[in-house]
Amino acid sequence: MDAGVDGDQGVSMHRHPRWQLAGLLAAPVLWLVVAYLGALGVLMVSAFWTVNGFTGGIVREFSLANFRTILGEEVYRTVTLRSVGVAAAVTVICAVVAVPMAFYMAKVASARSRHWLVIAVLTPLWASYLVKAYAWRVLLGNGGPIDSLFGGPGRGPGYGLTATVIVLAYLWLPYMILPIYAGLDRLPDSLLEASADLGARAGHTLRRIVLPLLVPSVAAGSIFTFSLSLGDYITVQIVGGKTQLIGNLVYANIGAAGNLPFAAALATIPVLIMVIYLIAVRRSGALEEL
Amino acid sequence: MRADSRWTTAVLVAGVLTLAACGGGDEGGGSGPGGLSVPKVEKLAALGAGEGEVNIVSWAGYVEDGSTDKTVDWVSSFESETGCKVNNKVAATSDEMVTLMKTGEYDVVSASGDASLRLIYGGDVAPVNTGLIANYKDIFDGLKDKPWNAVNGVAYGVPHGRGANVLMYRTDIVKPAPTSWGAVFDPNSPFKGKITAYDSPIYIADAALYLMKSKPDLGIKNPYALDDTQFDAAVALLKEQNKAIGEYWADYTKEVQAFKAGNSVLGTSWQVIVNLAKADGAPVEAVLPSEGATGWSDTWMIAAKAAHPNCGYLWMNHIVSPKANAAVAEWFGEAPANKLSCAQTVDKNHCTTFHADDESYFDQVWYWTTPLAQCVDGRTDVTCKDYAAWTQAWTAIKG
Amino acid sequence: MITEIRYNRPMTVELSGLRKTFGAVTAVDGIDLRIGDGEFFSMLGPSGSGKTTVLRLIAGFELPTAGTVALDGRDVTRLAPFERDVNTVFQDYALFPHLSVQENVEYGLKVRKVAKRERRDRAREALAKVRLEGFGARKPSAMSGGQRQRVALARALVNRPKVLLLDEPLGALDRKLREQMQVELKAIQRDAGITFVFVTHDQDEALTMSDRVAVFDAGRIVQVGTPEAVYERPVSAFVAGFVGSSNVFTGETAKTLFKKTGTFSVRPEKIAFTDEAAAAPGTVAEVIYAGPVTRYVVDLDAGARVVVVEQNSRTPRALAGLRGQRVRLGWHEEHVIPLPSGKDSAHAS
Repeated sequence: MDAGVDGDQGVSMHRHPRWQLAGLLAAPVLWLVVAYLGALGVLMVSAFWTVNGFTGGIVREFSLANFRTILGEEVYRTVTLRSVGVAAAVTVICAVVAVPMAFYMAKVASARSRHWLVIAVLTPLWASYLVKAYAWRVLLGNGGPIDSLFGGPGRGPGYGLTATVIVLAYLWLPYMILPIYAGLDRLPDSLLEASADLGARAGHTLRRIVLPLLVPSVAAGSIFTFSLSLGDYITVQIVGGKTQLIGNLVYANIGAAGNLPFAAALATIPVLIMVIYLIAVRRSGALEEL
Repeated sequence: MRADSRWTTAVLVAGVLTLAACGGGDEGGGSGPGGLSVPKVEKLAALGAGEGEVNIVSWAGYVEDGSTDKTVDWVSSFESETGCKVNNKVAATSDEMVTLMKTGEYDVVSASGDASLRLIYGGDVAPVNTGLIANYKDIFDGLKDKPWNAVNGVAYGVPHGRGANVLMYRTDIVKPAPTSWGAVFDPNSPFKGKITAYDSPIYIADAALYLMKSKPDLGIKNPYALDDTQFDAAVALLKEQNKAIGEYWADYTKEVQAFKAGNSVLGTSWQVIVNLAKADGAPVEAVLPSEGATGWSDTWMIAAKAAHPNCGYLWMNHIVSPKANAAVAEWFGEAPANKLSCAQTVDKNHCTTFHADDESYFDQVWYWTTPLAQCVDGRTDVTCKDYAAWTQAWTAIKG
Repeated sequence: MITEIRYNRPMTVELSGLRKTFGAVTAVDGIDLRIGDGEFFSMLGPSGSGKTTVLRLIAGFELPTAGTVALDGRDVTRLAPFERDVNTVFQDYALFPHLSVQENVEYGLKVRKVAKRERRDRAREALAKVRLEGFGARKPSAMSGGQRQRVALARALVNRPKVLLLDEPLGALDRKLREQMQVELKAIQRDAGITFVFVTHDQDEALTMSDRVAVFDAGRIVQVGTPEAVYERPVSAFVAGFVGSSNVFTGETAKTLFKKTGTFSVRPEKIAFTDEAAAAPGTVAEVIYAGPVTRYVVDLDAGARVVVVEQNSRTPRALAGLRGQRVRLGWHEEHVIPLPSGKDSAHAS
């Protein structure tokens, strides 16, 4: 290709801004449609297929059998409620821990230590998820450090639902801290000073000024913590004892049983929950200020 | 602004849905469950030169290169002799093995009876040209041409060895030593919350085996052939057991750690896990309970579209060679497949202990088999629960 | 401190020996200041001169490194902002974006647990005072800069503080609005009888509104006095140069022109073209027409370049032809202000 051809193209791009825009957007739009929505479409469609119980082959015939099973069996309702409960608990814990931490980082720490604190918050994200989860398995083990904290072997929470919530909250905390930190960073110091100036103590300022202004940030963080918790199946396998979440059921049906259609049908549950959650977040107006 | 935020919402929704859905696309060729026709796959005609590597799916402890224990190594010699580098992937359950083999990335697999037929009928594995396996002739006849490794007289694999699922317990806590599976099915067990069970639908057979002996009036003849009443009884027993379970295990390292820490003190296990836990300093022992046990008879199979067939054949020949087969049998705690292995074991009584040629013993061991709608015990007057039903029941058991 | 005017009224703000350092940087370097009750007091200086830090020390947003702050005779040096009877109007207004205008104004009253009814009435009254009746339901984001500025003012005034601190409150407004707000602020201050401490870097603003002005330079106050005193009798070349513009003469030039040794300042508008023989001769170097006035730059034969400002009360002369012409400049003796000589005397503009 010679320079002349390049030049011609440059000129034509320049003269047709609409083409230019189309060229720019083609790749991302294709990505969105094919990879995101396409995968979702395949998921939705395959949820209506069934699987040959013996060979594991997929039978591509429309059937509501999967959904009938999910709606009919009590265990799926129980597991769904448990998963939503875990996701909600993780989100609340993350928010409660992240707000003061992010506040310290954004408004109290000096500019130099702020730099290091952001790195410190991000560092755990570099470590493997599995390593962290297994580290917690050791921490929570019989007679482990957590047990000693509670006064001896078997006194701590052990493996189970509590352990799952704790470890998930630990794993997703950075995803809550970062948006809140960004939100606080954007919050002018003068607003806090103005509140103090008008007679408000720190607690009052936090309740009436900081928290209301952080709602969009917390909502953004909660979308991460909630959806990541809802989809998790590894942590619960490692520290959850006998606990099952939706993710385990999906995994068991894809990975172990090879029943992709049923897994797809199960996967529509978190999808549905997230849609409802996002609509609720949007209704609250939090997304408008993102 | 409004339009902007709507766009933001759309992108967010799309992103989160992908996060939450975590599903992938998978295609599988199917054949009707009624017809049970075996897809035609050609066996390897002649052995060529090795391809330089071989990708294996195996049970934990089957492919050891000295990294677990310096003295436990039958991979290094194979690699140096054949020039085939071994890439091993440990699978935790038979279901996982089937799924892994369906990816087409692996050459050979150590399939148990509840996976082998599914692989054969799924067209995922090829018949084995036993003439190319020099050590095949020394394998116990009792293991050859069995329903789980051959179809219509065509061998689909090389027998590896067999054994039983054992009952493992902490010697410092569980006193006296248990002798019956009843210990793990006792709803009032003193070890409530510290009992463990294998996390796979196939574990339903363990409950069925216990019921076979404890409730003979249910008429269970084969723990893998359960009609509605028998199945419901087994599921009910397991739901009752769930209250006493601390955790279900599939990952053997998790099991070792749980017994070492004391989170689990009693439950089903494999001999290799007992060995590993002991090596790790955990005070554990294992017994074969009076009811007998479920167990396995494993078969090395070669993928229908193996990328490294020659190295695959070389591996299958190596792993049933007297020396390697003896080593793996002792390490894993099972009966070897090769007759000559009994002379190669460190413990000279190994073959006796594990009843290598004692077919009457293995009559008491129920090898993992895929449950089918047509009862595998031969009954024709009832329909049995198939594996899909077992899978969904397993979810309900865990709650 | 040479020309400080003593007030007989009680002092609402008293600063003594106030110092504030940020690491190695000294922002406020020993300030002593007394501000009287009901006074409109301006702190004028270039950016970085410490005036805003002093304001923040009074408000309590910063704690001094040394020295004390007293309000109404009470030492508040160590008290938190919410314990001080002062309110602040911030440079960026600092309106709470999630609250309506009404809620913003009510905020201070609500914190002090004023009854709802009284709160509403007082907020409405305060909004009326800044001519924003009927805007209570709006969000700050739906208002213009000038309106926001007035909301910030109402939010502070509604608390009836002893002292109102204003940190460059008009800085973000355009010129026309700024001049209008200057008049309004002054009226509101006189009306409410509250002490205003007003920080600005705009000398016009300081001169037009204040009862007294403190001129800041490098963390110190270099002069305090009425606008007239600061303008007419600057104590240093820095003040002369920063407050208005000035011609500064020194050395041989000063000796030739004034028959005295030392450094002297003469404001441009105090110099006139004249025909008197005794006047200083020079050549017009530049003529700048600026609407109401014309500025001439003249090179004196005595060796200094001076600026002369002349009102365009008559039709201007044929300006272009003036460049290069020989002229004579004269002034009244009383407008020649002696300045302390030193490094400051280098300043001229």
